[in-house]
Amino acid sequence: MKNKYIIILVLTTLLASCTKNFEDFNTDKKRPADVTGEALFSNAIKNLADQLTTPNVNLNIFNLWAQYWTETTYTDEANYDIVNRTIADNTYRAFYRDILEDLQKASVLIALEEATVINTQAAIDNKLRVIDMIQAYCYQILVDVFGDVPYTEALDIENISPVYDDAATIYSNLITRVKADVSGMTVDDGTNLGSADFIYDGDAEAWVKFGNTLLVKLGITLSDVNPSLAQTTVEDAYAGAFESGEDNANFPYLGSSPNTNQIYAELVLTGRNDFVGANTLVDMMNGLSDPRLPSYFTTIDGEYIGGDYGESSPYSQYSHVADHIKDPTFPGFLLTYDQLLFYLAEGAARGWSVGGSASELYTDAITASFDLWNAGSAENYISSAGVAWDAANWKSLIGVQSWIAFYVRGLEGYTQWRRFDVPTFNIAPSIETESDIPVRFTYPINEQTLNKTNRQNAADAIGGDELTTHIFWDVN
Amino acid sequence: MKKFTILFVCLLLMGFSSLLGQEIQVTGTVTDKTDGGPLPGVSVVVKGTVTGTATDVSGKYSITVPSDASLIFSSIGMKTQDIPVNGRTEINVLMEQEIGELDEVVVTALGVSRAKKSLGYSVQEVDGDQLNTVKSDNFINALSGKAAGVNIRSTGNLGGSTNVTIRGSRSLYGSNQALFVIDGVPINNANTNNDGQVSGRSGYDFGNSASDINPNDIASISILKGAAATALYGERASNGVIMITTKKGSVTPGKLIGVTLNSNVTFGTIDKSTFPTYQKKYGAGYGPYYGDAPYTGLESIDINDDGVDELVVPMYEDASYGQAYDPSLMVYHYDAFYPESPYYGQARPWIMAKNDPTTFFETAVSYTNSIDVSGGNEKSTFRLGYTNLSQTGVMPNSKLDRNNVSLNGSYNLVKNLKVSASANYINESAKGRNSTGYSDNILSSFRQWYELNVDVQEQKDLYDNTGKNMSWNRTAWDDGTPIYWDNPYWVRYENYESDGRDRLIGYTQLDWTATSWLSFMGRFSVDSYNTLQEERKAVGSVAGELGVDRPDVTSGYSRFSRVFAETNLDMMANINKSFGENLTLTAFIGTNIRRTRLDQVFESTNGGLSVPEVYALSNSANPMLPPEEDLQRVGVNGYFGSVSLDFKGLIFLDGTFRRDISSTLPKDNWGYNYPSISTSFLFSELVDASWLSFGKLRLSYAEVGSGAPWGSVDDTYRPYAPFAGNPLVSVDNTKNNQDLKPERTKSIEGGLAMNFLKSRVGFDLSLYQTNTVDLITPVAVSYATGYSSKYLNAGEMENKGIELTLNLTPVRMSGFVWDISFNWARNMNKVKSLALGLENLRINPISLQGGVSVNARVGEPYGAIQGSDFVYEETTGRPIVRSNGYYELTGTSDIVLGTIQPDWTGGILNTFAYKNISLRALIDIQHGGSIFSLDQWYGQGTGLYPETVFINDLGNQVRNANDADGGGGLILDGVTEDGTQNTTRIEGNDYRYAGWARNPNSAFIYDASYVKLRELSLTYDLPIKILSNTPIYGASLSLVGSNLWIIFKNLPYADPEAGQSSGNTQGWQSGVMPATRRYGVSLKVQF
Repeated sequence: MKNKYIIILVLTTLLASCTKNFEDFNTDKKRPADVTGEALFSNAIKNLADQLTTPNVNLNIFNLWAQYWTETTYTDEANYDIVNRTIADNTYRAFYRDILEDLQKASVLIALEEATVINTQAAIDNKLRVIDMIQAYCYQILVDVFGDVPYTEALDIENISPVYDDAATIYSNLITRVKADVSGMTVDDGTNLGSADFIYDGDAEAWVKFGNTLLVKLGITLSDVNPSLAQTTVEDAYAGAFESGEDNANFPYLGSSPNTNQIYAELVLTGRNDFVGANTLVDMMNGLSDPRLPSYFTTIDGEYIGGDYGESSPYSQYSHVADHIKDPTFPGFLLTYDQLLFYLAEGAARGWSVGGSASELYTDAITASFDLWNAGSAENYISSAGVAWDAANWKSLIGVQSWIAFYVRGLEGYTQWRRFDVPTFNIAPSIETESDIPVRFTYPINEQTLNKTNRQNAADAIGGDELTTHIFWDVN
Repeated sequence: MKKFTILFVCLLLMGFSSLLGQEIQVTGTVTDKTDGGPLPGVSVVVKGTVTGTATDVSGKYSITVPSDASLIFSSIGMKTQDIPVNGRTEINVLMEQEIGELDEVVVTALGVSRAKKSLGYSVQEVDGDQLNTVKSDNFINALSGKAAGVNIRSTGNLGGSTNVTIRGSRSLYGSNQALFVIDGVPINNANTNNDGQVSGRSGYDFGNSASDINPNDIASISILKGAAATALYGERASNGVIMITTKKGSVTPGKLIGVTLNSNVTFGTIDKSTFPTYQKKYGAGYGPYYGDAPYTGLESIDINDDGVDELVVPMYEDASYGQAYDPSLMVYHYDAFYPESPYYGQARPWIMAKNDPTTFFETAVSYTNSIDVSGGNEKSTFRLGYTNLSQTGVMPNSKLDRNNVSLNGSYNLVKNLKVSASANYINESAKGRNSTGYSDNILSSFRQWYELNVDVQEQKDLYDNTGKNMSWNRTAWDDGTPIYWDNPYWVRYENYESDGRDRLIGYTQLDWTATSWLSFMGRFSVDSYNTLQEERKAVGSVAGELGVDRPDVTSGYSRFSRVFAETNLDMMANINKSFGENLTLTAFIGTNIRRTRLDQVFESTNGGLSVPEVYALSNSANPMLPPEEDLQRVGVNGYFGSVSLDFKGLIFLDGTFRRDISSTLPKDNWGYNYPSISTSFLFSELVDASWLSFGKLRLSYAEVGSGAPWGSVDDTYRPYAPFAGNPLVSVDNTKNNQDLKPERTKSIEGGLAMNFLKSRVGFDLSLYQTNTVDLITPVAVSYATGYSSKYLNAGEMENKGIELTLNLTPVRMSGFVWDISFNWARNMNKVKSLALGLENLRINPISLQGGVSVNARVGEPYGAIQGSDFVYEETTGRPIVRSNGYYELTGTSDIVLGTIQPDWTGGILNTFAYKNISLRALIDIQHGGSIFSLDQWYGQGTGLYPETVFINDLGNQVRNANDADGGGGLILDGVTEDGTQNTTRIEGNDYRYAGWARNPNSAFIYDASYVKLRELSLTYDLPIKILSNTPIYGASLSLVGSNLWIIFKNLPYADPEAGQSSGNTQGWQSGVMPATRRYGVSLKVQF
């Protein structure tokens, strides 16, 4: 019988002792459980710049849809196929999961920081305002791409079926938010973000200018649909916005992967030859003898030749993206001075008080674009036929010139085309008429399956989840 | 081979001891007990020797033996008898037929041997011989078609992984793979393939690690299917258990050791029905838009500055929708621009290539050689086995080698106290496994993206002669950089992977029989391995995904290393006591303490290699990215008990109980209990009917609990490479959950087994229902939540099924036996509910190319393949064609197009034995299930397949121009929106109409059914008479073949079984390997 006791004793000992380390077993020793808000902020900014600059056909196809570029052999995306590569899903993923969630968490952690003599409460608050402005910047993009999107209920993992908010309401809310951020910034206190802020190195004043410029961008987009809000927003903000190209919100890419410009990553590192200039842009610039051509494209036998948009275009026969754009350190443009000036020129043309005449601002905008692209003097170009200011024709001029100027910022160029309906885009082979040209993304496949009811409600609210459903501001 | 020859000779020279004694001559007659007829061909052997004879046609025999010897009488289908001579000179023997299940003993959970008749649940046994005659590099594949309800799906990759599910899928996202247990030691069956490989992007299939087991060591396999059978194994056994019992040393009086040599060589060639047949009329290009008329499918370029344009192949295209062949047309192919090419500067006729990609494959050769030494005496036993597998694949430069050394032994220390131990060392190395998936895979080029004017053997010559990447897919005539595809031989010989694994599986065990009714067992076991996987991309290759974060790079090196160890400490106290004649109690209590530790690192060069051909991390062009590191430790403490009652050998009752504490769950929920109860009723004991040999009814109910995957409770952040010295971190993509509860499987099973007519007819029928609830799942969520997924106890899955095995012996006469063994299983799976009212979960970890997804959708079987479909007109029910002539497609991709679950599976094994010759044929059947073929989705679009070349309704080639001259093009079958017949003619000369560009996913969903002749073997056992004067105890020679013939399938140009990897993402094919037919010869000699 003694043996029985031994067994029981052994079993009891095992019972008592063996779970001691269990919690430790399940703890991840290789990944941090505590991080700083700044590291999350840095990551979000980099992801944002990457998403805006990448020409990867799985992620960002707006250089195609803006008809700046076309595809050589695999023309699916230029022909508006976003399903095959689940591009809408990837866009949601990039913005909500990889940018906004990190910003959100950064806010939570920074709000918990304890104020010190160096990291003052005002600096902490400034950081939160910077983060909020970047969030607003992202939400505007989401609305501009999809229309109604999850906003008030977004970024809450406890609610896995977030409702979609009305796009116009989101816009008004973003304007309110950014206004509060701008007016609340105490410039003298800085942000203490320092080198974690790759755009402005923690300079609070620069972020105030950024916020005002963002307000102009938000406001101007509403000009056809809510002119009064558009006008007050732009008029209130322009004076505090960028004052020169020095103020540009540029992401300073580095020379080696994974921190290079994504254009370099996709066009050079992959060794693929998927894109050439589209005839839409190349023909337009050829027609205007645009001096920015060498900054934009290479030549074929001394000429600039664009591939027919959406058609198969052998790489060797058409102009390619200019080499300097394919440099690893080519900056990522988030918001620029020439962009601001085009918006202001439009405001002036609409009769708003934005600190200058439409003609002056138009001239300044083109000049700023030439500066951005190192294209020399814009003087002759601005006075040339087809470019020279004509108040009667302001929409077409600003539309075309801003579209040309926003090269490689595909989404901004595409938005300008949607707002002004100039230039006349080419009809890709997959569609039949101009009215078939997509003016938004359809919602992600994931939303169809994972957030079904809310997506359906949103689809109904915007007039159908179609590529051809207009974003609320796209009324003309 | 040399080693073996030497060993063989040594053993022959050594000679063998035989018993000496007074020799007498014994004669007699062997008769059948049932009908009294003589039995010819019965083997009569002196026990412990190789001396023997056989009975003649009248059942008579004569043999000279020592007077104190024993004679062994054996014959197929008869019970073997062991009769001591005791000085007699005449011994007549009545032989009895074997009556299957009555006497069968099977191994059940925790290695407990039980009479099969006493079990209240289903256990199916597969004999080691059944796995060994026709060898496979992975013994798991050899189970295919042999057991009802066990679904085996091998990918076709060299040394690739095999998906093993028993009775369907129970888990939404976790493993649905069966647990492998070898002699009581649970072994790791992990598959180290990454998400990108599993989702078919790119990568190699490194196989799953249970394939390390040497089939030659296997004595038998027990398959425990239901929860009642596996409940004692605890959490990991909810998907069923494959229990392997290895061969042990045995005590044979008068003989010290027995030696068995086994040698097997097989040759493999591709099954051409599983590889593309190509169209023969058109070459490179995507359509008629390159050069000047009339040869618009070719480029017109003045390459030699003579002022006249030459015709140049658009070599940068990877499709065959180009110019129609015309031998009188002289064109410049890609090879006209490589100075090293014999065709440099030459124009050649525009014709189809002589050697298409079929010629890329080589004959695979596989050698398996093994030696097995075993012996024992009253106090001890031992067995030592060594097996070497050496194999080359059908892809050039691919090979796999495996060495297994196993040693086991036991020793009776003192009376009632036995110590035993086993050690199994495995060393595996492979080189040049085939790539899988969509990108960077030669086979996706051959199946999807290729120019049929390119001669594969010319590519070989160019690589062989220069060692350079001279690809058919030049960027341009004046730019030799490969654009999308490398020279396939360059890929095989320069960009190869290599991997290796060293593994030790072993145990030590102590058995103590304390009293006649009480015994104790203690066992410590370990399964531990190191594995290293290296991938290379040589400088000058086309960019492809490689390394940490899998960026596209044009050169690089990555290494993945894993150290894994699992230890188990098992202790059991057993009671076996009879209470009177009618009641026997068997009971045990015990504990199982399990610990696993997994430590792995994945690291790679960044931005390419700085010096070519040096595959070292230190050769990184840019500073390396931070490696991906994982350290995962898991502990489970289990406590269990079991009580079995045997009432008069008529009714058996079993009850088990187990409690697990799992470290992977939150502390408040980490302990959980689960019971099982089962009963078996041998009603044949109550019926006295000569036609009924055996009858049993069984019923069981069981629950099994299961913990969470490691690291699903607490949140962590994900660090990235720093930017200019600043740290970058991100919120993890998956939200963990501190409220997880254990998952539970509840299972009920009933069965009926009956044998008739002296067991010449028998069946075993099982019915079961399994419900798994509180499934722990990283539920995919809307990205708008800021995450991709969230760990939840999400939902319920149900499996209902029926399994039938049937054994027939249509013929059993003197010397000839024909046995048929038939198994059939139908499992009906249904996703009952998901958490939080969700209706659908995506299973594939990252998006699948083509826009389809594999899902768990409420109300559908697990593994619903979803994608886009045609839009059907309501009144006619026919697909709508738009005004541009192409089909209208659904705007969404959530249409259920098929399922990965088959309707039913089955196998038929026929065995014919005539005297010393036996013929076995195994047919393996799957009915139903679906596959989305990315190969067809793209390959039809690039015009590779003959389906894209046909005579249209106007009597012209469809690829002719759609104009008055050409008369080409086609009118798609369908209706316009108002229901009238479509009449719009579209172009038939470009990639749009047939493939991905204008068609829905549903057009490329295929039925996955197949009927295969899985195995065929013809074995000749050398007659004992011939061997009686040699030291050889037995010898057999077999001709073997596997996967010889796909008798039926619906999927064109591929094997419906082929895939990327094991795991839950099935039903999607891209660049899959063709099936390999294997045939060869196997020799077995016993001393």
